[in-house]
Amino acid sequence: MPGSRHSRFASLHDVELCTHAATGERRAFGELVRRHGSSVRGLLRRMGAQGAEADDVAQDAFLAAFERIAEFRGEGTFAGWVKRIAARAYLRRLQKERRIGAITAEQVDVDAEGAGGDAEGRIDLDEALKVLGPAERICVTMCFGAGLSHQEAADALNLPLGTVKSHVKRGLDKLRTRLAPADGVALEGRRGNG
Amino acid sequence: MAEVEFERRLERLFGEAGELPDAAQFAERVERRLDAGWTARRWLIGAAGVVGGVIGASQLMMSNVVQRVETAEDSARLLSTGLTHMTPRTDWMAAVSSGGSVVWIAAAMAVLMMGFVLTRVIGEI
Repeated sequence: MPGSRHSRFASLHDVELCTHAATGERRAFGELVRRHGSSVRGLLRRMGAQGAEADDVAQDAFLAAFERIAEFRGEGTFAGWVKRIAARAYLRRLQKERRIGAITAEQVDVDAEGAGGDAEGRIDLDEALKVLGPAERICVTMCFGAGLSHQEAADALNLPLGTVKSHVKRGLDKLRTRLAPADGVALEGRRGNG
Repeated sequence: MAEVEFERRLERLFGEAGELPDAAQFAERVERRLDAGWTARRWLIGAAGVVGGVIGASQLMMSNVVQRVETAEDSARLLSTGLTHMTPRTDWMAAVSSGGSVVWIAAAMAVLMMGFVLTRVIGEI
């Protein structure tokens, strides 16, 4: 019964599901997609992919992950592993469609495009990312969302390491400014508790 | 220090992606594509096995196998006659000398084997 198999898989840990998937058990892999599909799609959207495109790349990334599931040794998280596959797949698509050059060259004036916050001045990450230029957004998301090192991001983007580092630095500076109010709230909260 | 903390916080924020409303449909789409890929692969492997078997069989038929079988049959007969004079007859030797059917069975098994090996190789790829 498919239902009972789904429920059986629902109680398993990601690593156990990967072991089942490695034997060709597609329902086990389906459970992994159910668990981590949204975070992979979210990452691609944060990298700048539009809804349908993000979903296409995420699907391809999961299919590629299924093909290469034996390579996953459980050293990191399954989600992190798929995110790296998805991030690289998205960059390959950008390169194939010759959009990567435009993205890495483009700059956005931070002050001209302010991100909207809520009444308390708090803004979420997605809103904060909007103030970043496309290259900064991709570099920051690859390094902090997909967990790639600066060197890995530079290799994937075909950019010099120094360029990636400066994109990340500029991106972090902008994010720090945008996310600062929440920092303040969090710190005050911690002091209050301590 | 503050920088490291901020980076950790950023990683945490990236990790806290909420579930999208169509998460279940997305998973179903991926599963459907996995199933479709699996079915296509099974058909491909089966077809490759059949083609491999047919090619193997046709190669055997085209390489004057009938003539060779007849020659082998004669040789086997001669050999068996010679051996009968030299050693006591055994069941094994009787089976070999019983005619071309053994060769035909071996050929058929070779074809099956080729098909099987080809299927496995493609399966592994």
